[in-house]
Amino acid sequence: MSLKNVDVAVIGSGPAGMAAAIKAKETGAENVVIMERAEQLGGLLHQCIHNGFGLLYFKEDLTGPEYAHRFIEKLMDSGVKPLLETMAIGISPDREIIAVSSREGYITFRPKSIVLAMGCRERTRGALNIPGTRPAGIFTAGTAQRLVNIDGFIPGKKVVILGSGDIGMIMARRLTLEGAKVEGVVEILPYVGGLIRNQVQCLHDFNIPLLLECTVTQIHGEERVEAVTIAMVDTKRKLIAGTEKQIECDTLLLSVGLIPENELSQMAGVKLDPITGGPIVNEIRQTSVPGIFAGGNVVHVHDLVDNVSWESEIAGQSAAELIHGRRKSWERGITLKPGRNIKYIVPHTISGKREVTLYMRVNEPEEDVRLKVGTIVTKALRAVKPAEMLKLELSSAQLSKLGEGTTEIVIDCEKRGGR
Amino acid sequence: MGQIDTEVLVIGGGVLGTAVARELSRYKVDTTLVEKEADFGWGSTKANMCLVCQGADTLEFRREYRRSKLVWESMPLMEPLCQELDVPFKRVGELAVFFDNGGRAKFQKMKSRAESMGMTTHQFVDRETLRQMEPNIARDAIGALYDPNIAITDPVRLTMALAENAKRNGVKLLTRTKVVDISSGTEEFEVQTSQGAIRSRFIVNAAGLFVDKVAAMVNADEFVVFPIKGYVVILDKKVGDLVSHEIHARPEAPGENNIVTPSVYGNLFIGTPMKLARRNDQSTTRQMADTTLRNVRRLVPDISERDIISSFAGFLMFRNWELGWHECVVSASGNVPRFISVSIGYPGVSAAPATAKEVVKLLSQEGLKLEENLKFNPYSKAITHFSDLSEEEKRALIAKDERYRYAVCRCETVTEGEVVEAISRGATTLDGVKFRTRAGMGRCQGGFCGPRIISILARELGIPEEQVTKKGGRSQLLLYKSKQLLEGVTCP
Repeated sequence: MSLKNVDVAVIGSGPAGMAAAIKAKETGAENVVIMERAEQLGGLLHQCIHNGFGLLYFKEDLTGPEYAHRFIEKLMDSGVKPLLETMAIGISPDREIIAVSSREGYITFRPKSIVLAMGCRERTRGALNIPGTRPAGIFTAGTAQRLVNIDGFIPGKKVVILGSGDIGMIMARRLTLEGAKVEGVVEILPYVGGLIRNQVQCLHDFNIPLLLECTVTQIHGEERVEAVTIAMVDTKRKLIAGTEKQIECDTLLLSVGLIPENELSQMAGVKLDPITGGPIVNEIRQTSVPGIFAGGNVVHVHDLVDNVSWESEIAGQSAAELIHGRRKSWERGITLKPGRNIKYIVPHTISGKREVTLYMRVNEPEEDVRLKVGTIVTKALRAVKPAEMLKLELSSAQLSKLGEGTTEIVIDCEKRGGR
Repeated sequence: MGQIDTEVLVIGGGVLGTAVARELSRYKVDTTLVEKEADFGWGSTKANMCLVCQGADTLEFRREYRRSKLVWESMPLMEPLCQELDVPFKRVGELAVFFDNGGRAKFQKMKSRAESMGMTTHQFVDRETLRQMEPNIARDAIGALYDPNIAITDPVRLTMALAENAKRNGVKLLTRTKVVDISSGTEEFEVQTSQGAIRSRFIVNAAGLFVDKVAAMVNADEFVVFPIKGYVVILDKKVGDLVSHEIHARPEAPGENNIVTPSVYGNLFIGTPMKLARRNDQSTTRQMADTTLRNVRRLVPDISERDIISSFAGFLMFRNWELGWHECVVSASGNVPRFISVSIGYPGVSAAPATAKEVVKLLSQEGLKLEENLKFNPYSKAITHFSDLSEEEKRALIAKDERYRYAVCRCETVTEGEVVEAISRGATTLDGVKFRTRAGMGRCQGGFCGPRIISILARELGIPEEQVTKKGGRSQLLLYKSKQLLEGVTCP
């Protein structure tokens, strides 16, 4: 296959990559390729056999594989070329991609534009620096999910889960259904890290203990995990002495956060935001390197797959429009700055000329708040949580209220009824 | 395993044991090496900062110490050895940093002592030069003592290469074989192992942390081993260019050494608070991590907890109070003939090449006949590492063997071809593959490649996935197949 005249190359075929590739094709890019290191399109959706996908995008309750399948069919019909078992191992700042492919061997090519859609990976024990021994039986929740749902293995019988991210809670339920005993989900914060619906449907409905304001302080066992010590923490997340308790188990799963996977982006010289861990992007999802776009969890970790698909469609569309000269490579505009109780905002800059959707996360859970974008006061919110992304649409009319020459806007999550 | 008869039995497959075995393979000597773990170099050898001839040692050299002599003699041997065995070796140099004139004076004393030993490579660098050499060094560092000789290597890969080369030259290697008892006869020893009995005329006791236990089995000399636990943190490659030399300062509190050094693979190592510990206790604590981070930030303020990808504890040890911190044991037993104990402790890796030669000399003094093995081949080739190859080499390899097209490990770019080669050359566990190929050593710590490597191991070794272990013994990774728990299957 000739890769000489690729218009848009999308790296990664999870929900982000597929949405971007389809959109790029629909927008008029002729030669679109999508690169996937696994043997099939769809990325990690295949191991997410639970439901809850597509409620917003398709207005239907789908499983991960079903959600993937909708996009795979559309992608195959659209004429996007899939490159399976193909792993990009390098991207240069002038957009040359180096990849290893089971079919083509070692390949290099220079597409007119690139969409980064590599998704994210899980934080590990090392990143947490949990003390103790180094036995077998410690897995990230996502690895366990693959082992159970794809490979057909159950890592162990008595399980403790550290962290209450969504995958951790979903695996608590999954392993319980497989006959394992989940001794508890241990969360250092006073609230769960994932969505409330998962807390209810995965933990509460299966009587799995949720231990808030607790953490694993030690791992025991030389060869295989034999137990973990847990302890309570105070409001500053410092351990409370004397609250240690040992729980016997043969497996420890970690669900302690996701990190956008940006090694390739960095090779290409793409600037990253230290808060999100993903590229700094403008409203058309262009990164700091001309011709390189990004969408989905590679930019920031999303709460719902539906939002991943939508965001990546922007990246795919922009990548195609760039080729047709309909977009300048980088539009200078207005920088969005996180203010009170705002952790980050994506995109990082906006043009101020077009309507735009902003995605944000808060630092702390709060009730009765409203979002203030510079001088624009927008909708009131009953409650905000770090686990749930805030989506804010700004219309052209609202944006026109910003003064001419504005270069920076602070966005605050303001307490209602008070000053 | 049936009864084995051998001329020399080496107990322990760490860097010293394998170096001795390989040295013996230069001669027509029937040598057997036993290792209790599933692989070589998994004791103290694997848990250190991968330095060759630590600066502190050269600075602490004393003519009267046997250990100093062995490290000293090993210095010119290490680089050629690594070349013969195709093991990474890089001379990075060392900067012993000081923050005031008092610190400078202490290093001056060490420098003078090194010079009196004939070591003239140390030189002082001023604040500006230091900053040029290491732009990320703490602002208040006023200078450093520079030693260009200090190098880094990969001790586990070195040990595995020594073992493999010894085997190629005729040494019998037995892993997962733990010595449980030894009885000494007039002509030979009868050694009981977890795998059966071995009769041997000579014994080289290179049992590392357990050198005293093995010596006690035959009532050889008395050792008291004091294991000192050190702690090391591995940082992500993306901050690997924060420093380019091994950097340390004098400890501010006893045992609170602060060291930061590059690794041969582009990561950084930081460490290491040290304290006396039980020798089975490889565990780490929160306090070790906090102390290490605090201490190394004093040297390189930009080091961040965020960049930690892994950490581990390791042991250095000293034999008994009389011999002291600086001394080692490389000697024939006073009461049991043909029994030689070898224990360097710290820095075992740096002293290994000369120690091996010394042990062979001792064996010959004990009556071992040394006739040259004319077929001895000193060379070994490392496992092909796809990511280290040039573009042309990558293309050629992929064209030749399609298993190099399948990337198994994302973080370190390891292909299926490399994993298969590692297994064909002795890896039987997930960690065995990891130490040979680096698959699983990257920032995701095996999250992506783990399940893939388990299935490759199962396929290549012809065992079910549930029998694949992390590191031998009872360290199985996957305890059940789907639905087995619902059917009431219990773990064997």
